[in-house]
Amino acid sequence: MNETFLTITEVIMMPIVAFIIGLFMVLMMRKLAARIQRRIGPGVFQPLYDIVKLYGKQTQISHGLIHDIGIIMAVGGYVAAVTLLPVPGMNGIADKGGIITLTYLLMVPSLGLALGVGQCANPNGSIGISRALTSMLAYDIPFIIVIFGVATHFSSTSLVSIIAAQQVGGFGTWGISEMPLLALAGLFALHASLGKHPFEIYVAPAEIATGPMVEMGGKFLGGLFVMQSFQLYAASVLYVSLFLGGGENWVTFLLKCFAVLIIPFAIAYLFPRYRTEDLVRLMWKWPVMLALLGIAFVMN
Amino acid sequence: MNSIAFNVALPLLTAFLLPIISSSSKPAARFIGPFVLFAMLGFALVYFNTLQHPVAIALGGFLPPLGISFHLDSLSLLMASIIPLMMLLLWPYANKQGYREESLLLLLAGGASGLVLSGDLFNIYVFFELISVASFGLAAANRSAAAFAATFRYLVISGLGTVLALTGIGLIYTQTGTLNLAHIGLLASQLDNPIGLSAFALIVIGIGVKAEIFPVNGWVPEVYSAASPRISALLAGLISKLAVLVIIRLLVVAYQGSDAYIILLVLGILGIIWGELSAWRSKDLKRMFAYSSIGQLGMVLVAFSIPGDAGMVAGIAMMLHHLVVKPGLFMLTEKWNGPISKLGGAAKSSPLAAILFVFFALSLIGVPPLPGFWAKLLLVIGLIQASSPLYLTALAVLLTATVIETHYLMKTAIKIYSKGKKKQVKKWQQTSFNLSVISVFALIMLAVVFTLTPLANKLNHIAAESSDRVLYINTTLSASQPPLSQPLSQQMGKVQ
Amino acid sequence: MNTLDALLLISLLTALASGLGQGHRLIGWITALLFSLQFVAIMVMGSLGYGGAVVEASISLSIFGHPVSWRFDGLSWFFALITIGAALASSIFAAGSWAEDYRKHGGKPGLLQFAIALNVFTMLLLLASGDLLTLFIGWELASWSSLLLMMVAGGKAKNFALRYIVYATGGAMAVLAGLGIIFQLTGSFAYADLAAIAPSLSTLQIVSLSILFVFGFGIKLGLMPFHLWQADAYAETPGPGAAFLGAISSRMALFAIAVVLVQLIGLVKLINIEIPFTFLSFRDLLLWVAALTIIFTTFTALRQNDARRLLAWHGIGQGGYMLIGILLLDPLGSAGGLMHIFNYATYQAALFLAVSAVIYRTKTADLNQLGGLVTRMPLTFLVMLIGIIGLAGIPPMNGFVSKWLIYRSLIVEGMPLLFIATVIGTLGTILSVYKLIHNTFLGQLRLEHEQIREVPWSMLLPMLVLSTVVFVTGFMPGLVLDWVVAAQAALGIPQVAHHLGGIESAHGSLDMIWISGVLFSGFGIGALLFYSGNKTKHVHQLDNYAGGHFLTADTRYHYTNNFYAGLMHYIGSWYRNSFQWLESSLVSVVSLLSGFTQILFHSFHPALFLLITATLSLYFFAG
Repeated sequence: MNETFLTITEVIMMPIVAFIIGLFMVLMMRKLAARIQRRIGPGVFQPLYDIVKLYGKQTQISHGLIHDIGIIMAVGGYVAAVTLLPVPGMNGIADKGGIITLTYLLMVPSLGLALGVGQCANPNGSIGISRALTSMLAYDIPFIIVIFGVATHFSSTSLVSIIAAQQVGGFGTWGISEMPLLALAGLFALHASLGKHPFEIYVAPAEIATGPMVEMGGKFLGGLFVMQSFQLYAASVLYVSLFLGGGENWVTFLLKCFAVLIIPFAIAYLFPRYRTEDLVRLMWKWPVMLALLGIAFVMN
Repeated sequence: MNSIAFNVALPLLTAFLLPIISSSSKPAARFIGPFVLFAMLGFALVYFNTLQHPVAIALGGFLPPLGISFHLDSLSLLMASIIPLMMLLLWPYANKQGYREESLLLLLAGGASGLVLSGDLFNIYVFFELISVASFGLAAANRSAAAFAATFRYLVISGLGTVLALTGIGLIYTQTGTLNLAHIGLLASQLDNPIGLSAFALIVIGIGVKAEIFPVNGWVPEVYSAASPRISALLAGLISKLAVLVIIRLLVVAYQGSDAYIILLVLGILGIIWGELSAWRSKDLKRMFAYSSIGQLGMVLVAFSIPGDAGMVAGIAMMLHHLVVKPGLFMLTEKWNGPISKLGGAAKSSPLAAILFVFFALSLIGVPPLPGFWAKLLLVIGLIQASSPLYLTALAVLLTATVIETHYLMKTAIKIYSKGKKKQVKKWQQTSFNLSVISVFALIMLAVVFTLTPLANKLNHIAAESSDRVLYINTTLSASQPPLSQPLSQQMGKVQ
Repeated sequence: MNTLDALLLISLLTALASGLGQGHRLIGWITALLFSLQFVAIMVMGSLGYGGAVVEASISLSIFGHPVSWRFDGLSWFFALITIGAALASSIFAAGSWAEDYRKHGGKPGLLQFAIALNVFTMLLLLASGDLLTLFIGWELASWSSLLLMMVAGGKAKNFALRYIVYATGGAMAVLAGLGIIFQLTGSFAYADLAAIAPSLSTLQIVSLSILFVFGFGIKLGLMPFHLWQADAYAETPGPGAAFLGAISSRMALFAIAVVLVQLIGLVKLINIEIPFTFLSFRDLLLWVAALTIIFTTFTALRQNDARRLLAWHGIGQGGYMLIGILLLDPLGSAGGLMHIFNYATYQAALFLAVSAVIYRTKTADLNQLGGLVTRMPLTFLVMLIGIIGLAGIPPMNGFVSKWLIYRSLIVEGMPLLFIATVIGTLGTILSVYKLIHNTFLGQLRLEHEQIREVPWSMLLPMLVLSTVVFVTGFMPGLVLDWVVAAQAALGIPQVAHHLGGIESAHGSLDMIWISGVLFSGFGIGALLFYSGNKTKHVHQLDNYAGGHFLTADTRYHYTNNFYAGLMHYIGSWYRNSFQWLESSLVSVVSLLSGFTQILFHSFHPALFLLITATLSLYFFAG
């Protein structure tokens, strides 16, 4: 009983922590973009202010119940998903479902968003979702190969034991030093999953007027902002858990998490956008090849 | 025992007397035919039920090898009962004028009974000729130009076949000096040489004209599509089986274990391929059944070409199954003639006929638990047990042919069940008499399904008896005691 | 008379009653009632689902000296439960208003009920088979009764049904050949005799038997390259019939494969048979056939513009998952494969019924002619949503659990490429099911669908019950895993350790109770956040941005056609219809050959053949 109580406490704590860290990740992203563009960038609490402002706006346009439920699913799905990601001191329900469960649970928010956007009856939104799902098909293939490689290497699908195994021998037993090819392929997939340039095909403001976001205003957009902070958090923590030894303590953990994101963020603002088919072609070529090579090493 | 000879004599006599009877009393002429057939059926059934083991009868007291000898075993008596039964079912009851067809049918019945009961090659040849003559007449009985043309074709090829068969019989005679089957069996070792086997080949091809064996069956589609459905049913159902029966008798008695099996097998395989492929392509229902019948006879031949009891069981089962199914199908073409593509609406005008068609088709394909399935199962098991490459090829061909068969039969069934033009729908209405005849065939098959276990035992018994060469020889020769008893015991060692 | 006799008897009675009373107005309800009796009967036999003793039927015969008998074990019970459940749901759906409507449009609802009842009876006979002979008889009967169900609709459907039966007969003939080989080896059709000689089979025998049985039975499953028939044939069957067929009919193949290959011959030997010049074992080859079936058919489904065809194509692909699971043979994989049969049946039936409900109201299943129906048919939308989440294999629905087991097993067995193949299939499924729900229920509501209402309760009830099952067995997979374990025990393969929430294992476990619980709490938090924001104002669907245009109701702007344009731009050229081409060239070859045979009959005088044959055979013997 005590154990269950502890788990429930963790399950409540983890999304809160994740949200806060996620907000700072958004901040980092925006600061980085500003520095690259030689601006000063927003203040520390700007991401939070944005969300509060959007939730409090007067005009809140809903296109129907599914529109509302879509946003609820999008946020709620992430709230649930982050409890599967162990952080220092808290395992949440990570031992109740491993990386495969996490991978598929991460699709729930996307599905929710897709439903909500569909209900808006805006062709731009639908095109956006069609592109988003296409890009998911593109980056999930290398990603899933990476997952297989890691699971095989540690002969476990539980993130808790994967992290434990990496922390045995310091950097030498980290995923990145034992499986560099997989780590590289994983980074590709991570970048694409964030939907930032050059993989920003489903937002594409100039083509489809921000796609899924086209009918979103007020707390709907606010929900998407919340979702974004969770998304950044989930992606980086997953990568850290798979390749960078997870978190020994909160300091190294946060350092690693933010460091992981710097790479895609830095690249993102230097490149223009791919076309959909080019994205698919790219993701199915290099990352897949790297990852396959990676598992060839892992399996021997 | 000798009274079985009435089965041959009575119909022949009636056939010749029919013109005379007809001139004195028309009603008598109409009733005498069925009456005779009933009598034949009764005789044959009584014998079939009471016969414990095979019996040979020397007619007129002349002992074999000189006299006419009858060989009565379960198979021959079974066929002898089926002959009048089929005739009764396919009898032209509606025919009010003339006696021609009735007379020919009785001739056919007599000849056929003689053929299945005969124990020597010469008599078999004579009865076979009798059947041929009768069947020419019957094929042309509806007096259409197409029927005459087809019958002429049939006549020419039959004539040639007869010549070949006669040559074959002659060759056997030169080798063994006898035409009695049992004696030939005794001297079988003298036939296992090129001349003996050539004789078999010639007989197979010659007689095979009637058995619709592969390359000598060019007449089949023409005749069946031109003759009246009843006659096609009779030819496809009964006459072809009689010819097969002759071939098996010869095979079992004189050519066991020889290359003769190979030629049957090869001809059978080719027959299946040719028949089923052609049936698949045919656009006309009668022709389709005709070609399919060629394919089915191919399967029968393949079955009989399997050495041993397994082949005999499978062959007899396939043969009897086809004997019931094909007449049923041919009778349907009484009204459902012409291109298949125009059959739309047929099911609406005759729902029962459509159901019967599907029923027969399913059995032909071999859907369990219909009789066709059990026959096919026996055949498949037999072929695998024979387990030589050629037999396995036959198996592959058989199974592929079933797929093709399914396609064309179901395509037709779908056509029958599809909507048709109003005007034509009336045309497809089957007569109620016809329907009841077809239903009898279907009922026979249903009865088979429900009495499968006893029937299977009976079938096994028949097959074991008719594939037993020693039994055949002993049966006949024990009837003719002294002259050959001495060499018999010596020969038996070899036989066994 | 024991429970199995009673079950078979009621089933036969159902078929007879629905067959004889076809014209009666109430026949739908009577059939449904009889189906629920069957359901009660199968429930009475429930102990079989928890490892109870085998139930033998009282009737046993001997045909041609082969004893035949019928009996039920855990595996049969598992399949029978799904069969009867699917039939019950379809039958209720088809009994009320749907039947009225169907009759009004020239259909024969009584015939449909009869066809379903006949299918159930024959399938139960198959499932109850106690030896190879009854297995084949049941197999053939079930195959041919499916034909009847596929032909109920008439018209185009008949041609698809014809195509089906040709494929099915091909399969049956392969099976028959296999049975012949077994008979040759054992001299009987008894299961025990085959199991007894199985260890001494040679490699060649095992390989040829496996090929004959896997492809022979697999044709029913739509295994590549014999997959072409299924989607069209299922899709053209009237809605409830399609739901039944889609849910369980083709799974009979898995039952047969499991019994013959896994239980009797023992699949383990296949693993040890290497294919020369490759790294593959023979089992890998079969696994790959299943994996390719998943990928090809799923991506074919992605291109469909007819809701029924889209679902039917997915059905083939999902069969691949089940086959992979069963062929994996380890506790996890085989449990996944077997469980997927149950899970798939529940959501596929729900989806087909939901699509039928849409057709009932709109008269079309064309994905380019629908849209926006969520506001008119919200409950049907809910059913479809739950169904597609299940089909895509996303938590918290049951489809995820069975797929998870298969993924997990593929990782444990170290089969990366197969794992990737199965995941590619899942991703493709997600894309295509979103297209399904988006094009049907989301987006613009068409003018002609303004007045549509939700379907009546007789149709909603089975759909809602099915979706509840999809959800509950996703939340507590242990319910189904109990039965799966009984089926595994019947097959003689190691059983998976499980609890109510899922799987407990040192190397990665799954507890769906926690995961679903947390997920729904997450939704709760999401909702809390959402409703803590300012009050929303609902606007009409035409009141939106849409590229700067002012919209009117008669402007069609629902984005449906070529939904994944970008993706198709890249992979579109990969669709080559090679199998269609293969099939039609095969038909051409047969056509050519048959033309040749007919020419021989027509062009030459038969006497010529007679002489040629005589000469040849004389040469053969004397030359």
